[in-house]
Amino acid sequence: MTVQPASSGGVAQRPSASGLADVIDTILDKGLVLDAYVRVSLVGIELVTIDARIVVASVDTYLRFAEAVNRLDLAESGNQQGLPELMQNMTKSGAAGKSKGAVQGVLEAAGDKLQDIIGEPAPDSERRSARGRRKGEG
Amino acid sequence: MAERAATGTSAADRPGEEARPQRVGTYVYGIVPSDVEVAEDARGVGNPPHPVTLVRHGEIGALVSDLTSKGPLGTPDDLVAHEQLLDATAAEVPVLPIRFGAVMPGPDEIVDELLAPHHDEFSSALKELEGRAQYVVRGRYEERTVLAEVLEEYPEVARLRDQIREQPEEVTRDARIQIGEIVNAAISARREADTQAAYDALAPLGVMAAVREPTHELDAVHLALLVETERQAELEEAVEELAGQWAGRVTVRLLGPLAAYDFIVTPAAG
Repeated sequence: MTVQPASSGGVAQRPSASGLADVIDTILDKGLVLDAYVRVSLVGIELVTIDARIVVASVDTYLRFAEAVNRLDLAESGNQQGLPELMQNMTKSGAAGKSKGAVQGVLEAAGDKLQDIIGEPAPDSERRSARGRRKGEG
Repeated sequence: MAERAATGTSAADRPGEEARPQRVGTYVYGIVPSDVEVAEDARGVGNPPHPVTLVRHGEIGALVSDLTSKGPLGTPDDLVAHEQLLDATAAEVPVLPIRFGAVMPGPDEIVDELLAPHHDEFSSALKELEGRAQYVVRGRYEERTVLAEVLEEYPEVARLRDQIREQPEEVTRDARIQIGEIVNAAISARREADTQAAYDALAPLGVMAAVREPTHELDAVHLALLVETERQAELEEAVEELAGQWAGRVTVRLLGPLAAYDFIVTPAAG
């Protein structure tokens, strides 16, 4: 059995910034392997096999690239949709890039996650650090 | 130690929890210093998810939660719960993340077989992580922009494309694969150069840096950095500068603070 991000039938349709995709990318095969530390006391719980990785150089990839090249050109030679649109996109993301990209990422990761678990972002530091508060501190 | 005192008399010692379903195991998320407290509303993996608690021993402790259902682990909710707990923890205190899916029989075994025998090893690793967290920098090529670049660089791609267009799809498979190979090689070369550029720009801000494998064919950059959390603003600034340079070409994202998944190495078994 395989768990994959929703709509992963085609690589192209994969949501680009899905939280789950990021989670899978981040934690898959990462972290301490407990088997190396404890031999006998692990409980075998069935794990859903997670294989969301994309083999980057596969025939499927090649065919998809060829299709994308084909589409790209059709769009360009078609009416109005070619370079102007491309330029427009570039300008747009150029302007937005500064304020969006990086900072948004951090907020996504840190802000959302903390809030998801802790509930509300609390003003007082005691609450804020509830997740990992040191006994001696505060 | 209070948690462990319940052995054999758990029902009596935990009023109000008599109806608690049978525990099939204790899920282990990570190792933290023992002076950490867990938020009461932190919920773990499994269905239903149970509260996250800390099993302490000496200077260290294990973040755990009970598992009461035998169903397979690995639903999207489980994965997200696992990472969110570790990342939220890493934002505040050092944590050694354990790979998804580790289940032990109960708190006693966690102390006797995991925490006690490896106390010093875990403890010194945690001290090394003090004040540091992992950040991940991801860049994804804008497909149209990068393909336009490739078309310009390799005229034969355009030639092949014109050629296949005049023929039925059944007979053009080889030519299409050839196009794809050229495009893929061109993107790989760009990925290598852009990854190097990002590494050179960002690695000096961190204590350690690691290049991650691409997980998408349009990945431009996938870097993991271990950074002093005090320097997060500096890192953000550097990543923004990079994003500015690549505007319209690569979409850059910064994830973090995260647990140090890429910098915790399991010793070889044996």
